[in-house]
Amino acid sequence: MAVQTTFHRIDICRVELPESYKSGMRVKGVIYVDETLESGLDQKCLDQVANVASLPGIVGASLAMPDIHMGYGFVIGGVAAFSLDEGVISPGGVGYDINCGVRLLASNLRRHEAAVRIREITAAIYREVPAGVGSKGKLRLLHDDFNALLKKGARWAVERGMGNADDLERTESGGAIEGADPSLISEKAYERGRTQLGSLGSGNHFLEIQYVDQIYDNEAAAAMGLFEGQVTVMIHTGSRGFGHQVCTDYLEEMATAVRKYGISLPDRELACAPVNSPEARSYLAAMRGAANFAWANRQCIMHWTREAFLEAMGISPRNLGMRLVYDVAHNVAKIEEHTVNGKGTRLAVHRKGATRAFPPGHPELPQVYRKIGQPVLIPGDMGRVSFVLAGNEKAMHETWGSTCHGAGRVLSRHEAIRRAKGRSIYRELEDKGIVVMSAGRETLAEEMSEAYKDVANVVDVVDKAGISRKVARLRPMAVVKG
Amino acid sequence: MMYEQIEVTGDAGIKASGATLEEAFAAAAEGFYSLLTDTEKIREEKTIEVKAKGDNLESLLVNFLNELVFIFDTKGMLGKKVAVSTLGNGTATAGISGEEFDPERHPRGLLVKAATYHNLKVENKNGRWEVEVIFDI
Repeated sequence: MAVQTTFHRIDICRVELPESYKSGMRVKGVIYVDETLESGLDQKCLDQVANVASLPGIVGASLAMPDIHMGYGFVIGGVAAFSLDEGVISPGGVGYDINCGVRLLASNLRRHEAAVRIREITAAIYREVPAGVGSKGKLRLLHDDFNALLKKGARWAVERGMGNADDLERTESGGAIEGADPSLISEKAYERGRTQLGSLGSGNHFLEIQYVDQIYDNEAAAAMGLFEGQVTVMIHTGSRGFGHQVCTDYLEEMATAVRKYGISLPDRELACAPVNSPEARSYLAAMRGAANFAWANRQCIMHWTREAFLEAMGISPRNLGMRLVYDVAHNVAKIEEHTVNGKGTRLAVHRKGATRAFPPGHPELPQVYRKIGQPVLIPGDMGRVSFVLAGNEKAMHETWGSTCHGAGRVLSRHEAIRRAKGRSIYRELEDKGIVVMSAGRETLAEEMSEAYKDVANVVDVVDKAGISRKVARLRPMAVVKG
Repeated sequence: MMYEQIEVTGDAGIKASGATLEEAFAAAAEGFYSLLTDTEKIREEKTIEVKAKGDNLESLLVNFLNELVFIFDTKGMLGKKVAVSTLGNGTATAGISGEEFDPERHPRGLLVKAATYHNLKVENKNGRWEVEVIFDI
């Protein structure tokens, strides 16, 4: 149901949800949508943006990106920053899949070189990187090793020969957030994570072989080592059952904290605790462990993807030249330095289905990207395109250095399956020249293009709004789905 | 057992009912397994006991289902028949009859991350218990 009268347009890229929209709102809501995407805004999403605006200590505004869709408690596509003194930390502002994120690999291959072996490459990846319900990775983690991994993140994998130091530099937070405390993570989470390292999962997670089909920003593309016709690989996955269990455990804990601290909430999924409380500190320390698990996971998957290419192509690592462009988290909470009323302030920034997009010159960026801004990776759906963006200064002023994360769903799984009845999504993709391997019985129908907003529209809004800018467009050649 | 899948953008839900609360919980559990695979293909090879705790009926249901998510993720256990033997005083005990996931025989359905509190319902309507739960996929 479209809503017209409850918000007003700020400019061509943003609408404002005033504090009068719902009682209890402490700040306004700001949603990045143009007139086309505005028509898809649904009442429940607006309510969720308003609910987040009512949380204690929220600073600025309750923000939503153009890929906004309904989540649990917080919308997906949401950004919310909280004061460290009066604010809260909420597991719902991160999501069940802690550090779900995206990694982009570049190669020396050109499209036609990979195209001749594309089925062999895809099959090799499908063997190396397990996907789908009940799938297990190739490693079994022992307890001590597991603890080391939770602290070291991607570095853990690099130390075992799966990558190099350069990869860590090209990963958000260097592939590990400091302050993970394994002792605050349940045995259940360990049990779920033990066999899942190096696996893709299911749902909207995927591994895609792509080629660069358009460059928008030559300087940034050159810094990232991207050129037209080049073969790239995009990996979209997170912390698997390990992170899901951490979220489940702490939502339970936070429900108790809500009563203890007398926080009144419009929705139980918003359960939270004051930033400085033992409950919030414990969650953050556990969440960091799960975030680090996800970075190790994507690092391992990158390694096995490279192996699969080498095996299927029969070429040397030097000729393949497969390297990391960047790795971003799009479900995470971080303590970051921002400017509030002209003063440098540390804030607890929650990004749930939103990507950090730091601008040129930001001290957290590696030297190689200091001049162009942080690479931002935006996966589309499997039949269309994905984008590489770069961070802009404006995002620091408007969105706590954040931008969108993907296409955003529009159809339920059932509706997608209904619309796919009598069609072969596999055949349709093959006809477009996209090779698909999928583990799930109905995954392809559920994940077909029509189930999502067109990511190009989403990216156009953040580009026009100036909170990030388009660098390159990537088109799929092959997709591995869970 | 009485359950049906309900539609949610991006995720999946189960609506289940029973003459008793125990039956409604059991139906929700069987509905959960129907998201993972084709339950027709599950054989009843063994029965395991599952216990869960919660401060109220809502959290008891969510924790019970999350226990099943955990057991599937770690042991691959798929349930065909679920019988809730005790339910009350903040605890639930159930017997899950089924077998371990076998990718050769069990079609891969949805990967459930967790049962959530989103739009959660546990209600008695005209003497019949109805529950609704949304799973994060």
